[in-house]
Amino acid sequence: MTMLSLRLPISLVNSVTPPNIRITLSSKTHAAVVSKRSSATALPSLSTRNEGASVSGEVSEPLPAELAAELMPKHVAVIMDGNGRWAKLRGLPASAGHRVGMQTLMTFAKLCCSWGVEVLTVFMFSTQNWLRPKVEVDFLLRLYESSLISTIECMKMEGIRFSMIGDLSKFPECLQRMIISAENDTKHNSRLQLIVAASYSGKYDVVQACKSVAKNTKDGLLHLEDINENIIEQELETKCTKFPYPDLLIRTGGDLRVSNFLLWQLAYTELYFNSVLWPDFGKDDFLDALSSFQQRKRTYGGR
Amino acid sequence: MDFRDTVHWLPLCIVTIRNLGLRLAWYFLQIIVSAWYSISVVGNLFESYFVSCGILKKYKSLHLGNVRYLAIVIESEEAYQISKVVKLLQWLDSIGITNVCLYDMNGVLKKSKETIFQKLKKAKSIEEVSEVVTHGAPDHMTLEFLSYVDGKEAVAKAANLIFVENLKQHNLGGELDVQVFLESHLNEALQIVGSKGPAPDLLLVYGPVRSHLGFPAWRLPYTEIIHMGSLNYMRYGSLIKAIYNFTKVHQNYGKFSLY
Repeated sequence: MTMLSLRLPISLVNSVTPPNIRITLSSKTHAAVVSKRSSATALPSLSTRNEGASVSGEVSEPLPAELAAELMPKHVAVIMDGNGRWAKLRGLPASAGHRVGMQTLMTFAKLCCSWGVEVLTVFMFSTQNWLRPKVEVDFLLRLYESSLISTIECMKMEGIRFSMIGDLSKFPECLQRMIISAENDTKHNSRLQLIVAASYSGKYDVVQACKSVAKNTKDGLLHLEDINENIIEQELETKCTKFPYPDLLIRTGGDLRVSNFLLWQLAYTELYFNSVLWPDFGKDDFLDALSSFQQRKRTYGGR
Repeated sequence: MDFRDTVHWLPLCIVTIRNLGLRLAWYFLQIIVSAWYSISVVGNLFESYFVSCGILKKYKSLHLGNVRYLAIVIESEEAYQISKVVKLLQWLDSIGITNVCLYDMNGVLKKSKETIFQKLKKAKSIEEVSEVVTHGAPDHMTLEFLSYVDGKEAVAKAANLIFVENLKQHNLGGELDVQVFLESHLNEALQIVGSKGPAPDLLLVYGPVRSHLGFPAWRLPYTEIIHMGSLNYMRYGSLIKAIYNFTKVHQNYGKFSLY
């Protein structure tokens, strides 16, 4: 498929959701389809950029010509919303939506690997989700176990480092052991760090950071007068990565909120809300999000 | 020209014509897409105008029960336009929004507090009212002014307060308990250090970036966030539409499953 794209000269102001317009020429249909995207006006080069192969030897997805490699976000966070609605639209049980959602996650992680994203944090299960019906919670925990078993080899092959943040003490012991094992098995991988936030909330993260600081003070490692926001930041669960602050947050499913995810870390993060349901979120949707990100003027608060 | 020259020249000619054709098709598509985009912009402008005039009936009556506390984040450079900020507040007052929190990173709005209160005779500061009225129809607008120091720095201060209190108890013979930190304790400590306002239901961001620019994160877990574009181009119709769309949203706070 040949992608032709253009940047539109008129900036849309005061629009809640800006339209993105993309023109694609499908080699199969030989018809121009106007969908939704906007980017550079220059005729794109038809040459592809090979971002390197994974350890498995498979050729990576080349970075689309519309994107500038130097403007790629280092850390992308995703709230994967819409699994249940996706299943309902198809007359399927919610479990089917969650399973397909997992597959979408792995595909998305591979795409991040190929396109130079270094850290991907996904919101898998919040502290509030424990209040869901037990049947659903038990299913989700079993799904995480089976997904971890089925994807660990793939992560090793792809060079993905797996990390988990959240209150893991609430998980069954066997799942906890599997998580620790997966973290150890992949700790030397460097192509992409996949951080899964489970049994997590932004407020939980701040509270546990404060507890760590309190413990350090009790142990004499820290003085009370030295405690400031930087000290608390160093104890947040995202200390497991060298890029703890997401550059871009994508939320699928249509809701326009962060739902208690990475509250402290999102101060200057570009927020991209998309109505596509997570199982349907594909390469083109990610391309839209990245194009939107690359067109923004980020000031990091200008402090 | 002999046959060999013709055979050599013909494919080159075909390729040149094909490339020219593709280029023309490309420019034609650019024109179509630009036109579509312009129509979209004009369409949005008209919609905003119709909403402002009350022509679109569905926007005429807003059920503001869900909008108990509204926050506005303004990019600090744009926050210097106090007349626009006052106009925005007057629009909100006319819509019936009574509790508003204004935030900009560098505290420009805080410094312009007096000017804003002079222009909004009915408004009172959150410090003046004993409790933010979230039900019923108060006769004044309550304004809260925040900046960066009310965010992460306030959490650090609140945490410090808990540490100090805990240390005092330890010195009086109690156990120094690091597990004393619970979310509820941090909530109480934040109130003590001055972070009194409730969590906003809706947050409108005015500025070039789609980010909340450091708004106190502790108050944002389930807040709806809408990017409104630059303050320079704010429109009453867009404001009404954003609030109307929010009033139709259903939140389950992560507790309920499925759909």
